[in-house]
Formats: sequence, C-alpha cells, structure tokens
Amino acid sequence: MRRAAKIYFPFINAGMQEVATYRVNWIFYILGNVMSCFVSYFIWKAVYSSGGGENLEGFTLPDMIVYIFLMFLTSTIIGSDASYVVGEEVRDGSIVMRLIKPVSYNGTFLFQELGNKLLTEIMLLVPLVVGVEAVRAALMGGIQFNPLSFLIYLVSCVLAYLINFFFNICFGFLAFVVKYLWGANLMKACVVGFLSGTIIPLAFLPKPLEAVFLLLPFASLNYTPVMIYIGRYSGLTLLYYLGLQLFWALAFWGLSKFLWRVSVKHLTVQGG
Amino acid sequence: MKQIKRAFKIHRIFVVQELKRMMEYKGDFIVGIIGFLLAQISNLLFLWIIFTKVPSLMGWSLNEVVFIYGFSLVPKGIDHLFFDNLWAVGHYIVRKGDFDRYLTRPINTLFHVMAEKLQIDAFGELLTGVALIIVTLPQLSVEWSVLKVILALISVPFATLIYTGIKTCTASVAFWSKRSGSIIYMFYMTNEFAKYPATIYNTVVRNIITYVIPFALTSYFPALYILKGENPLFNIGMTVLAGSALMALGAVIWHFGTRAYESAGS
Repeated sequence: MRRAAKIYFPFINAGMQEVATYRVNWIFYILGNVMSCFVSYFIWKAVYSSGGGENLEGFTLPDMIVYIFLMFLTSTIIGSDASYVVGEEVRDGSIVMRLIKPVSYNGTFLFQELGNKLLTEIMLLVPLVVGVEAVRAALMGGIQFNPLSFLIYLVSCVLAYLINFFFNICFGFLAFVVKYLWGANLMKACVVGFLSGTIIPLAFLPKPLEAVFLLLPFASLNYTPVMIYIGRYSGLTLLYYLGLQLFWALAFWGLSKFLWRVSVKHLTVQGG
Repeated sequence: MKQIKRAFKIHRIFVVQELKRMMEYKGDFIVGIIGFLLAQISNLLFLWIIFTKVPSLMGWSLNEVVFIYGFSLVPKGIDHLFFDNLWAVGHYIVRKGDFDRYLTRPINTLFHVMAEKLQIDAFGELLTGVALIIVTLPQLSVEWSVLKVILALISVPFATLIYTGIKTCTASVAFWSKRSGSIIYMFYMTNEFAKYPATIYNTVVRNIITYVIPFALTSYFPALYILKGENPLFNIGMTVLAGSALMALGAVIWHFGTRAYESAGS
C-alpha cells in the first residue's frame, strides 16, 4: 500500500499541476459547456408554460431545472479524458514512456486524472451544489438538501467515474484502428449523451426503451447518481442500482485489461 | 478582380492538398461526419419527444422549430467547412511558433490560415441542415416572392460571416495571450442559443444573442422573415450589418495581432 502510494503520488501531483497551470482556460471551457444547460432550461420552461401540464412523466418544472443542472454537475465530476489521452499517446508513440516504467499502465492514467480532478472538483462542486440547492429552495419553498442522499450521491459518482474511466480507456484503444479520434470521440459523446439521459430524462422515453437503457452501462454514468441526489431511488431500488454500477465498473475494468493485453502486441511505434 | 482570381486559385491549390491529406486515412473522415450528424440527430430526438408532450412551443409548431434549427445549421456548417483552421490558431499555431510559416509567404496571413484547411466534418451539419429545410418547408405555408428568395440567399453568407468574424476576433487574442482556444470555445458555444426560436428566452438572453454575440441573427431572425415575411429591414438587414461588422473587426484585430506576434524561442 505504501509502495503504491509512493509510486502513484507523482502522477496525482502532475495532474494537479496541469490544472493549476491552465486554470483560466478551464473556467472558459466550463462557461462554454454550461451554455447548453441554460438552453435546456429555457426550452423546458417553454414546454411547461405551453400547456404540457404541471407534471410530465413525474417531473415538475422545478424538478426538471434541478435535473438539468445536476446532470451538468455530475457529468463534469465523472468526466474522463482517458480515451483522448490514450488515443493520442498511441498515435504519437509517447505511450512507450509508460511501457518502460514498472507501474500499471491504467494506473498511471487513473492517478494522473484523479490529481486533475481533485482540484477541479473542489473548485466546482461547492459552488454548483450551493447554486443548485439555492435554486431548489427558491422553487420548492424551503431547503431540500438531504445530507444522506448527498453522501450516497458522492459514492455513486465515484462508481460512475470508474465506469467512465475504464470505458474510455477501452474506447481509446480504438486508436489502433481509427486515426481520427476527435471524430470518434464526438460520436461517442453523442451516443453516451443520449443513452445516459443527459439530453432528456430516460423517463420520457417509451417504457420498453427506458427499461433497456436503464440496464445499459450509460445510465449508470449520470442518470443513477442524479436520481439518487433528487431522492428518486431508495431502499432496495437504491441498492440494485448501486450494485449495477459496481457490476459495470468491474466489467469495464476487466475489459480494459483484456484489450490492453491484446492491443499492446499490435503496438508499433515509428522511429522511437 | 485579378486579386480575387488569384485568391481562388490559391484556395483551389490548398483544397487539392487537403484532399490528398485526407486520402491518407481513407474512411476516417466519415467518422467525423457521422459524429456531427449524430449530434444533430440527438437534438432532433429531444425536440421530437418534447412535441409528443406539448402541441406547440410558445406558439411555434414542430415544423417551424425544426425549420429554424435546420436553417441555423447552414451558416454554421459553411463556416465550419471553410474556416475551421482558426481554432488551430487559438489552440497551438501561435503557441508553438508555427505562425512563422504564414508570415514568410506572399499571401495575406488571415486568408492563408483560412484557406489552408477544409473541414469535411462540417457535412454532418450541412447535410442535416439542408435536409431539415427541404423536409419542413413544403409543410409550412410560406408565401414566396422573388425578393424573399433573394434576401434569404443573401442572409446565408452574412450569417456565416457572423460565425467567422467571432472566431477571428477571439482567435486573434492568441497573438497576445499565446493561446485562446478556450475563449473561442466560450463564445462559439453561445450558438447553442441560436438553434431555437429566440422568443423562448428571457429579455436579457435575447438581447445578448441579438446585439452582443449575435448568433440569433444567423438563424432565428432570417428564418422569421422567411416564415412570416415580416420586417425584412431588421431581420435580414441586421444580419448583413452584423456579419460585415464582425468580420471587419476580426480582420482589424488580426492585423494588430500579427504585429504583436512573437515567435516561440527555439
């Protein structure tokens, strides 16, 4: 354990320094990303005021507003650049620098990104949670914050991040086949965005489709944590969805190990 | 005239080079097109699901909303197709000192940067946009006149200039700050608001996307004129004005930026 800590601490540190260096850039990117939240906010406001009724598929307007911003918060928390980083390193050959070190390949990425996240999360989590709760309190009259739900939400986010990280590692290995990773990543983001309920709550889909999507790993990414936060899952249902998250995390961890073994044999680095 | 001919000739040479580069990774370019296509499809699914719950969105029918959405993709796609390289200026061309290359050639630097790359991905947006317009137009009772056709056609290149102008202004910041990719991104993302009828937003947002970062002029206002035939002076005139002004501003900032440019020390 101590040995592992000693090995991986430099990676955490490097990740933190990366963020600290490009702070301002990061804030602009967040501001750019939050735009689509505000667009959704206005669209839903228009929907509810256009005679859609008070309650659509179990969501009132305040529910929906909280949902939109929590989705944004959650996807930022669990976001992973692993597919892009892996892909770039495969393409430009710098992956060899990780191969020659006596450390776990996935581990180095994981800890570098965790260092990255540690800083960004602290900068983002507090203001956004306070903001969401303020909106919630204003809309529903009275503070709705539930510390227990919030704690389980954080646990669920950690599981979701692990699923996302290992899924992205697997996806990054696509670089062995596809050279245009930016395009492949965009495709992935669109499909995941839809299947994970970021674009529209899964409850709005036809029931059979919803049932299938809930089983897929993508619902375990954003949808499950957000549903927990707003108190939709409790008791056995809650345990079931946390278990499902754990299952997918382990499944993608295993798959990434397997793909790594297969693809490293095909790795060719020119002029290294 | 001679200059324009020369510009077109140079542009053609660059495009041919670019196509050769793409042939290196055959099939890969399809990936980007499908990516942008999927992005549009998921938004359209969202709209479609919403309209199964409500008959209209603040008085806008599904067809009208989809028409505005489709119209917004055309100038966006054209800008994306021809002027995508401005992103690279903000991301790395200045920072890595690669801009030296542009300075050493007898071509206007801004034109050179723009002409150098052709972003095929944009067809994901362009094709969707055109398809949505073709599908929705016959179902909307639009009264056509010669004037309307002409004005609609004029609005598209100027709407494109709004995109390109904003990108040029923000990309130029890199000449002073070394990198400005995140600034371009922040301003560019405001176009998300342009995809839907501007009446759904509150006054503050509406004023911002009309007068400050005027992406509403690339979609909602020209589309409004096409759909309802109202107020061409504002709906089309403002687009022409904003497109010209932003592009001119971009060119000026770019000009001063190239003077402030310092190469990377290597």
